[in-house]
Amino acid sequence: MKFGGTSVATPEARAASCARVIAAKEQGFNPVVVVSAIGRRGAPYATDTLLSMLRDIDPNVPPEPREIDLLISCGEILSSVIFAHTLKIMGVAAQAFRGGQAGIYTDGTYGNARITRVNPEMMQRSLEQGYIPVISGFQGIHVLRDPVQGRALPGGELTTLGRGGSDTTAAAVGAALNAEAVEIYTDVDGVKTADPDYVKNAPTLRTVTYDEVAEIAHLGAKVLHPRAAEIAMQYGIPLWVKSTFSEDPGTEIVGKDAFPGRRVTGVTHTGKLVYLQFDLSCASEADRTSLETRIYELMSRNHLNLHLPNLSPESTGFAVPKDQFEVVKNLLDGLVIPVPGGKMTYLLQIGRDASKEVETQAELLDPIGPVSRIVAEVNEGCTMVSLVGHEYMQQPGVFLSALKELSDAQVRVLQTTDSDYSLSLLVPEADTRKAVAVLHDKFGLAQAI
Amino acid sequence: MAQNPTRNKVSETEFEKRRGINRVEVREGFAQVHISDLNEPLNDNRLKILAAAKDANISLDFLKLTPDGMSFLVKEDQANIVTSTFKDLGANVAVEPGRHVVMVHAVNMRDEEGLIASIVLQAIKSGAAIGHVSDMHDRVLIVVGKDDSDRLKKQLEGNLIGAHA
Repeated sequence: MKFGGTSVATPEARAASCARVIAAKEQGFNPVVVVSAIGRRGAPYATDTLLSMLRDIDPNVPPEPREIDLLISCGEILSSVIFAHTLKIMGVAAQAFRGGQAGIYTDGTYGNARITRVNPEMMQRSLEQGYIPVISGFQGIHVLRDPVQGRALPGGELTTLGRGGSDTTAAAVGAALNAEAVEIYTDVDGVKTADPDYVKNAPTLRTVTYDEVAEIAHLGAKVLHPRAAEIAMQYGIPLWVKSTFSEDPGTEIVGKDAFPGRRVTGVTHTGKLVYLQFDLSCASEADRTSLETRIYELMSRNHLNLHLPNLSPESTGFAVPKDQFEVVKNLLDGLVIPVPGGKMTYLLQIGRDASKEVETQAELLDPIGPVSRIVAEVNEGCTMVSLVGHEYMQQPGVFLSALKELSDAQVRVLQTTDSDYSLSLLVPEADTRKAVAVLHDKFGLAQAI
Repeated sequence: MAQNPTRNKVSETEFEKRRGINRVEVREGFAQVHISDLNEPLNDNRLKILAAAKDANISLDFLKLTPDGMSFLVKEDQANIVTSTFKDLGANVAVEPGRHVVMVHAVNMRDEEGLIASIVLQAIKSGAAIGHVSDMHDRVLIVVGKDDSDRLKKQLEGNLIGAHA
């Protein structure tokens, strides 16, 4: 049973969460608990608050990833101890464990480690002694080895699991213990057909497949991390998303075979995106390859998360999260790309109006030879609205229905992309709410179960 | 929840798959349709094309909007129907048969920042003429001509499998 930030944020929420654990024990199960840090962004012990304590010392000096992991893992440790003690006060013996103590081993990537194996011995011992193990989510331990002798060095390095870390911990612990089920408790009733902030009364889906939930998460919803779904699917562990605070039965995540039907599952939306479209029509084919290579090399090397990559003979484009746009702009605006053996030097300009950097570069390049300016059109206020479906997207007429509905609602579609499970539409950010609502309505999701 | 602490003893369990790309495969048998020179109102005329496709029971993939029309993929055996259907609407239609979809598999690829850019970069470096790029939670899909698909597959396998591990 995994409890997210809002389920452990206050004494009342913790009491409700603990009551669920006790109820499970009274039903004859041996619950094992995984907890997130107490509270979400801004709360005193939330991950970002702990991180800001370190960064605020001197914003110009980046902290070491190893030290960051040690610090931010404290939020979950604190949460596990408080949760275990609350269970004790409510009459049930419980033991708190750090991820490493619980036998969760990871690779050595600080901040985004992968769980490589779980040794459940300590959790099993705890259960056999009549305790409920309460495990700090989002963390594990990486065993360092002596490079010469190969032996494991004492202690091990604490690592954190990155996005979806506590969900992933729960799924891994569930698999290692061969659990009857993994239940992810949160503050919504389960997986919804749309963001309830955008579509009031969006229904809760009773069943979704692992692929559907992974695609929903990939396209913007944050209900369950696909890493947890991946592990549960791999080990055939029934996975549920439920609310701590309601009696709704929640959503069961199942294998594809358990859901033979065809349907539209839901409508998602990403956060704010900036779409860049580079006009390459002035470049020869060989030069275009050099230009595109340089652009994507920089995006890759700087770990930028691209959406809607789009290549054609005349142009190339992609969207990036708005918070990464400044990095992209700094990398590309004013970038000079000399083409090997070519007669032309290219100068990138981000946006219609040339920045000071671009003008300076142009002046410096002027005596060297011909310079061609590649201008990227920038659309800063975009978002991606996606229709996610199961065995649905290949049906004739799906594009027509989606595009016509948005056209009738006066929502301009800037670009589209689609896959086996989804159809995504890039729309102006100001129209996000309208686009989600009309697609939800058009595809009959108000009646979804 | 764990049911019985002694019944389910498991010594050690291995978990998450290696990060980064784990497999590249090729789907064959597609044609890419390019609709161009559509008159204004452009959006209405795009919708007319899509309505005609629906009426002809044609399934579309990889729809991309272009400045004067759009392009998409159909099953290769539907290419002839496409040509006749859309030409009746006065659209400029070009059909490229023999298109393959190269699928690059990577678990939870949005967690691996820069990975999609790396895949696109390798696709460009392969010299393949890329018709379209799309992505899902666990794969990137790249549309290329049949002559390019093997080269692209080898480029991706040679440069990216294990690179993010």
